[in-house]
Amino acid sequence: MFITRKNRPRSFDWLWKNATAGALFCLSLSTPVAQAQDSTAAGWSAVSLHGFGTLGFTRGDDDNAELVRDLSQPNGAGTHWATKVDSLLGVQANIHFSTATEGVVQLVSRYHADSTYRPEVTWAFVRHDFSPDFSLRVGRLGTEFYMLGDSRLVGYSNLSVRPPPDFYGSLVLSYIDGLDVIMTRPVASGLLKGKLFAGQSPESTPYAPGILWDLKGSQLVGGYLDYIRGPWQFRLSHAQVRFEQEAPFDELLQGSLPQPYLSQVPAMAMAGQSARFSSLGLVFDQGPINVQFMLNQIRHDSAAYTSTKAAYVMAAYRLGAVTPYLGVSRSVSDAAVLTGNPAFYPVTASLVAHSVTDQHTYTAGARWDVQKDMALKAQVDWVRGTPASVFLLKDVQTGSWDGNLTAVSLTLDFVF
Amino acid sequence: MKTLLLSLFVAFFGLASPVRAEPVVVVNAASSIGPLSQDEIINIFLGRYRRLPTGDAAQPIDQPESSALRAEFYRKLVNKDVNEINAYWSRLIFSGRTSPPLQAASVAEVTVQLLARPGAIAYVERAQVDKRLRIIMEFPR
Repeated sequence: MFITRKNRPRSFDWLWKNATAGALFCLSLSTPVAQAQDSTAAGWSAVSLHGFGTLGFTRGDDDNAELVRDLSQPNGAGTHWATKVDSLLGVQANIHFSTATEGVVQLVSRYHADSTYRPEVTWAFVRHDFSPDFSLRVGRLGTEFYMLGDSRLVGYSNLSVRPPPDFYGSLVLSYIDGLDVIMTRPVASGLLKGKLFAGQSPESTPYAPGILWDLKGSQLVGGYLDYIRGPWQFRLSHAQVRFEQEAPFDELLQGSLPQPYLSQVPAMAMAGQSARFSSLGLVFDQGPINVQFMLNQIRHDSAAYTSTKAAYVMAAYRLGAVTPYLGVSRSVSDAAVLTGNPAFYPVTASLVAHSVTDQHTYTAGARWDVQKDMALKAQVDWVRGTPASVFLLKDVQTGSWDGNLTAVSLTLDFVF
Repeated sequence: MKTLLLSLFVAFFGLASPVRAEPVVVVNAASSIGPLSQDEIINIFLGRYRRLPTGDAAQPIDQPESSALRAEFYRKLVNKDVNEINAYWSRLIFSGRTSPPLQAASVAEVTVQLLARPGAIAYVERAQVDKRLRIIMEFPR
C-alpha cells in the first residue's frame, strides 16, 4: 500500500506546483462562481469565515522541566503561569465553488518552533468530491498520523485541555504540502473509510535552545482504515516520514569535538532515514459517554532516536453542561542501543538520551459548556516518570530532574 | 371566565412543561428518495456518508440553530446535546472535511430549500407536514 523508501522520487515538487496552480485557478474562478451560487441558493453564501481559539493558563510545580503541548514548542510552562502552551487563534475561509468543490484556507497563530506567535498557513487546499463517497484534496493539509490528530489545535472540539502529550507530543509535523484521497463504503451495517496521503513537509522543529532542525522536504506518506458502526469507531493507521535534512547534531556539538561528529558516527545520521508511525484507535461515543483508547508505536531507522510506544485511555461522562473526564497515558522508549565508533560512545549516549521517555501521566479535568460555542476547562496532570524521561518536556535540568511534575491548566476555548 | 381559567391553565402548564417537539424527517414529495433508516439519517446529518440509495448526494438541512426542534432532533437521533453537535462540527470544519447541514435562517426557509434543492433532506415538526412533503423517517415513540 505504501511506496517503498528506495523507489520513491526524491521530491514532490511537481505535485506541489500542480496543486498550487490548481488552487490558484480555482480561486481565480471564485468571484463569478460565488455570485452565480448566491443567486440560485437563496441567500446561502458561497464564502464563509470561521475561527477558533484558546486562551490558556498553565503552570507546573517543578523548576527542573517545562511542560509543552508538543515538541514543536521550544519551551513551555515552568513554575509561573504561562499562556504560551495552549493559547492560540485560528481563522478559516471556506470557498464553495460548487456543491462538489470547495477551497479552504486556515491561518493559525500559536507559540511554536521559532519562539514566536508568527501565523502559519496550516491548511490551504481545494477539495473535490468526485462522488458522495470519494474525494480528493490537493494543497496544504493537516497531518493525521493518529485519530483526532488533524484537529488537535481546535480545543473547542476536544474534551481535554490538550491531546495527551504522551501520545501526541512527539508529533512535530503538523501539515504537509501534498494530497489525500478519502473513500467511504457501507460494510455490514457500518461504514468503512479509507484515507491515503502523500506530501512533503515545509516545517522546522526546535531541536535544542536556539537550534532548529529544518524538516523542509521531508517526505510523508500514510493512510488509515476506519470502521464506524453505531457508537463505535475503530481505526488502524500507518504513516512514514523520510527526513530530508540532517539533524543539527554537529551544530549542537560545535567546538567540542576535533572533527564533525556525524563524519565519525554516520549511524547517527537522520537525513535519508525514516521513522514509521503505527497506531490503533478505538472510540466509544454514545449519549453522555465518551471513551477513547489509543496505542501507537514509532520506529526509527536511525540510531539517534529511540523507538517508542505510547498509549492512552480517556473516559468522560456528560452531566448537563459539565463533562468531567479522567485519563491515563503512558510513553516508553525501547532500550537505547549505542552504535558506531566506541570512542564517541559518551557523546552518542548523550544525544540518544534526549529521545528517551519513560513516564505515565494521570489526568483529571472537567469541561463546562458555558454558552453556545464557548467552553471552560480545568485540568490537572500528574506526570510520573523516571529521571531519564526527558523527551516530551523542555528545559530539563538533568541531575536534579526526578521525572515527576504536576501541572494545572485553565482554558477558555471558543469557535466563531 | 371558564375560558380564561382554561387558557391560564394551558399557559401555565404550557410554560412549566412545554410540549416536546416532535421532529420527523422529510423530503420533497416529488423526490425519488425512499424511506431511510435512522442509521442512514445519522450518516447523512453527521456528514459520515451522504450517498443516497439512488446514487445522488444527500443535502441535509438544519432548522435554525437555536430552535427547540433542532435540539430535540439531535437528542432523538444520537442522544447528544447541541453543544456536542457544535463541537463535533467544529472538528470537521477545521480539519477541512465534510460541510455541516445547510443552516436555515427560519422555519419557513427549511421548506423553501427542501423544495428547491435536489437530494434535500430536512426534519420538521410533525404538525407542519403538508402535501408538498413526504415523511421518510419517524423516531419510535
